[in-house]
Amino acid sequence: MLVLIIGDLHIPHRCHNLPAKFRKLLVPNKIQHILCTGNLCTKETFDYLKSLASDVHVVRGDFDENCNYPETKVVTVGQFRIGLCHGHQLVPWGDTEVLSLLARQLDVDVIVSGHTHEFKAFEHEGRFFINPGSATGAYSALESSVTPSFALMDVQAQALVTYVYRLVDDEVKVERLEFRKVK
Amino acid sequence: MSGKYQERLSQLEGVLKEDLIDLQQLRASSSSGIPESLRPLSWRLLLEYLPPKRAEWTEFLQKQRQNYGELVLDMIVRPGDSNSEQADHPLNPNPDSAWSNYFKDNEVLLQIDKDVRRLCPEMSFFQQPTPFPNRPASRLNLSKRINSCNLHAEVFETSRSGATNFVASSRKKAVEQYKSLDEGDEAHWQVVERILFIYSKLNPGVKYVQGMNEVLGPLYYVFAQDTNDSWAEHAEADTYYCFQNLMSEIKDNFIKTLDQSNCGIEWTMTRFYERFKDCDPDLYEYLVTEQGLLPQYYAFRWLSLLLSQEFLLPDVITIWDALFADDKRFEFLQYVCLAMLYNARDRLLQGDFSANMRLLQNYPEVDVGQLVVIAHDLKEGNLSVISKSDSSNSMDRAKKPTTISSVLSSTLRSFTGKS
Repeated sequence: MLVLIIGDLHIPHRCHNLPAKFRKLLVPNKIQHILCTGNLCTKETFDYLKSLASDVHVVRGDFDENCNYPETKVVTVGQFRIGLCHGHQLVPWGDTEVLSLLARQLDVDVIVSGHTHEFKAFEHEGRFFINPGSATGAYSALESSVTPSFALMDVQAQALVTYVYRLVDDEVKVERLEFRKVK
Repeated sequence: MSGKYQERLSQLEGVLKEDLIDLQQLRASSSSGIPESLRPLSWRLLLEYLPPKRAEWTEFLQKQRQNYGELVLDMIVRPGDSNSEQADHPLNPNPDSAWSNYFKDNEVLLQIDKDVRRLCPEMSFFQQPTPFPNRPASRLNLSKRINSCNLHAEVFETSRSGATNFVASSRKKAVEQYKSLDEGDEAHWQVVERILFIYSKLNPGVKYVQGMNEVLGPLYYVFAQDTNDSWAEHAEADTYYCFQNLMSEIKDNFIKTLDQSNCGIEWTMTRFYERFKDCDPDLYEYLVTEQGLLPQYYAFRWLSLLLSQEFLLPDVITIWDALFADDKRFEFLQYVCLAMLYNARDRLLQGDFSANMRLLQNYPEVDVGQLVVIAHDLKEGNLSVISKSDSSNSMDRAKKPTTISSVLSSTLRSFTGKS
């Protein structure tokens, strides 16, 4: 099962669209589910995600127009429980200890957060932490030059294979990471 | 009736017991129906899957079944599994990539999945779990690959007092009728799905065309319902090879580019209409010349799917006994179709175009054993249509002294195997 992890697009406030190279890769009928960390910010962007996969899960970012998105969400994909949260609520932003507190609260195997606009993926205390960064490369409060990135998770029976897509010097770089659930 | 049945049973048993099975004799004795218990074996022989020499069976079956098992594992690839291909990724636009092949397969699979899920909805057989799941293959669950269901999601909220609660999503979902079973278990329709998928992968010229599932369904049903577990256990592999043999004879019907050529379906339909004209000029005159009822409207489905859509599964199986027993496959099919027309002759002669269309496209339930007998008579030319035109009900035909003798004689002849 392929799950797209994407967020912090900030369209149209900080960026007018996804990079063309990304849009070329993201085509319908490949991805089955989308987990979005928020800050889309408009309905049009949500509709675009809907066109890639019918099952889209969004949590609320600090710039989202739609106030009905929940703050946190727990999605079950196969054997994995995945917690989803934008992350502006968790201070200090992107801090491992705070994120792992949330992961313990939600009792999840994977925690997906955003807001820092910096790609990050690591294992901590047997849990997998992933931040897809900003798919458009929009600037953040702390950083002005941001590398556009998103992630694609291939959920298998026991393992989670994550493909990281990054746009470096106008070329798409793909990296493969694997996370196995500890029983 | 039971006497006849016993006779037939013992005769077929006799043929099947020999060390070197005489296919001619088998065909002759199975042309008017095969008893339930002998059917799976007879079909395997009639479809030329099993060699006629009994001594070779064990080795042959073992080899074929092992081959099939390997085939399944080779053909169904999970591109993400291997670590070696570092450069490949799911969104790879390169057509050679394993992932893009995976998505291409999914397109075919999507069609197969839709069709097999509604295979024979009137019976629950295909929805039930199979007692012999193919464990290594069921782990590569095919229907899961294209599953588009929504994920289960919970919303996590913090109240002012810090207490947290889980609110389950209230989205209503339709009850999944054809749901997948637990890990390692699979339903019969999933086995059928896998056979079709393997077939489409190995025959890129034909791929998968809607309707193949209808041809495969009865085959698999017969093999999987075998009372002998040692045969039923390998129903999947055996069905695959029998299906392949059967398709090699009828696959021209499914190839679009061959439709116009002299082995495609159009040609078969033309032949059918020529035969129809010879056999029953009056009805032909009325239906075709006057009403313009083209074979495409109904006979297309009859001929291309071997009548599997026209009758209920048990009836289809009875007809197929006779079809497979035909040494010039599938000439006899045309006679069965003619028998269907003949059987409904009186209603057809009275009906207008739309009524006739409805009748032929949704053929009423009849005694198929009778149909097969009529078809045999038509084939041998000892059933005169004219003599029957004044009869009011076609099923009363046997009561007429003129025809009863011919029916009896032909039945007897088929029982004694024309020896």
